[in-house]
Amino acid sequence: MAYRVLITDDSPAMRSFVRRVIELSGFELSACYEAGDGAEALAVLKNEWVDAILTDINMPGVDGEEFLRRLAADELLCGIPAIVISTDATQNRIARLLALGARGYVTKPFRPETLRAELERTLGVPCD
Amino acid sequence: MTETTIRTALATAVGDVLESMFFLDTLGEAGEPPAGADTVTVHLSFEGDPAGCFEMRVARPAATAIAADFLGEDAASLTPQQSADVTLELANMICGAVLSRIESSATFRLGAPRVVADIVADDTREPWPEETTRYTVETGSGTLTAAMRMETRTCTATEKYAS
Repeated sequence: MAYRVLITDDSPAMRSFVRRVIELSGFELSACYEAGDGAEALAVLKNEWVDAILTDINMPGVDGEEFLRRLAADELLCGIPAIVISTDATQNRIARLLALGARGYVTKPFRPETLRAELERTLGVPCD
Repeated sequence: MTETTIRTALATAVGDVLESMFFLDTLGEAGEPPAGADTVTVHLSFEGDPAGCFEMRVARPAATAIAADFLGEDAASLTPQQSADVTLELANMICGAVLSRIESSATFRLGAPRVVADIVADDTREPWPEETTRYTVETGSGTLTAAMRMETRTCTATEKYAS
């Protein structure tokens, strides 16, 4: 099965890295959209459906927390699983983001297999 | 918070970040590069409890090699912008990893990392402030120094510009 994902991060290098990890993990991607902040991501989601969202927290403009709030408030988008990828591993932040609706939380630095496992869990499918 | 605590967190964070996401095993602690060495310097400030500043100085050949590993590209084909983007992300990850280690229950917010000195043979580079805790590692392509200072005073003009 091929998946459609959206990667939201203000770092082009990080977006490229995450995409490469997903592809090398064996996930077939039929579409991989990229956005520099939550506002750009929401603009993408107006026109494109995705199976999963991977998002940073600290971004200029609409940050990850506000992005998750807007996703949760949108009856069309609230069902899309979102995984947070962040350098912030503090307990308060993780709890807050999960309470806002994040389905998973991966802290940087992470090993590629960690992101793969989180995607498998979130999408509910193992990959080869 | 003691200097030993911060230094241990710096050493652990540098090693973890380089190994996990850049697939690089470091060659151990090293001396700091001499004045005038060709380095790229990245600065970022952070707010919260604690607040402070983080700075990373990485030898240019090391910055290029690290960027190539991260992006899965050949070093010769990298653009300066690609190399800079990865160096900024590296600083962001190390700083976040250090803060998460020293205050796992606190909330902090990282500022945007910026390259504050990217000059070949930079003889005008500012010395480290006395209260800065530093850790230098040999990457195999040059040294990387990570430095952190908790905020107890006003930042310098350079730091204000960077933030």
